[in-house]
Amino acid sequence: MSLMSLCTWVEGTPIGLFVRESLWGFPTLVAIHILGLAVSAGTVVWFDLRLLGVSMRRSPVSAVYRQLMPWAFGGFFVMFVTGSLLVSGAATAAYGNLYFRIKGSALLLAGANALVYHAVTERRIAQWDGAERPPLAARMAGLISVALWAIVIVAGRMMSYTLYSH
Amino acid sequence: MTMLAPFFARLQSSGVATTIGQSQLLTGLLSSIHLLGLALLVGGTLVSSLRLLGVILPDRPVAEVTGAPGRGIVIGLVISVVSGLLLFAPRASTAVQNGIFQVKMLLLSAAALFYFAFYRNVARGGDDARLRLRFTGALGIVLWFGVVLAGCAFILLE
Repeated sequence: MSLMSLCTWVEGTPIGLFVRESLWGFPTLVAIHILGLAVSAGTVVWFDLRLLGVSMRRSPVSAVYRQLMPWAFGGFFVMFVTGSLLVSGAATAAYGNLYFRIKGSALLLAGANALVYHAVTERRIAQWDGAERPPLAARMAGLISVALWAIVIVAGRMMSYTLYSH
Repeated sequence: MTMLAPFFARLQSSGVATTIGQSQLLTGLLSSIHLLGLALLVGGTLVSSLRLLGVILPDRPVAEVTGAPGRGIVIGLVISVVSGLLLFAPRASTAVQNGIFQVKMLLLSAAALFYFAFYRNVARGGDDARLRLRFTGALGIVLWFGVVLAGCAFILLE
């Protein structure tokens, strides 16, 4: 099954039909999606800014991570589920939409950036956990994350304007 | 509102409003900037308020955790208001008569007033009485998330 025929199939499922045709389904999902985004990106950015040495400079990086990430992951889960449901209603149009592709790519890159941070940079955190200005690799991870999340937000909004006209 | 109707009509027919209203790209970009400002504002409020509520980093001083998010709240508010005004201009006359938009503006005014008159001082003041911190944190979250929900409802149900 090609990706396009998968999109056509998803659009025809009861969920796809509900999202597309229900009067309240779509706006409710968008509202929850934006709240999830605000919680997810809104908390991730303050950890990224800690990595950059801009926020909570006297708190250990590991403590800021431990306290903020459950909120970021919770928000991301809500955003991912509602986002998937929203796409199911317009899957074929989203498939060819440039902004959808940019958003998806930025999300994947943000995930890869987080993986590299955990697998490589964080391994020596004991040496810089309390540093007001973490090492270059950690600052770069923070900067890349902020930039990618900004791209996710802008591409997501542009996608909404080009797919749904609002 | 009737007294201000000519003003909103003039705003809507201005060159800036017409240019924005006729361009889907410009409207989309302004809306993106509006959402970026909102993420900074609401995220800053959430982090700051969760500390006031004693939910995150309870062993760290309040001012240490809320300092940078406080600056994020103000920067996010300025970005959201400026981009919001530019998005408002092309639909000024119809928007001011919309009940959901009026609720959004009311909540926005209440949230901004609460932030500058009360919240900011409590967040800066450090480890104050616990009840005062918790009340401030909870009301901050309720008001700003209320603004976001009203904004979503306005765009989607307009």
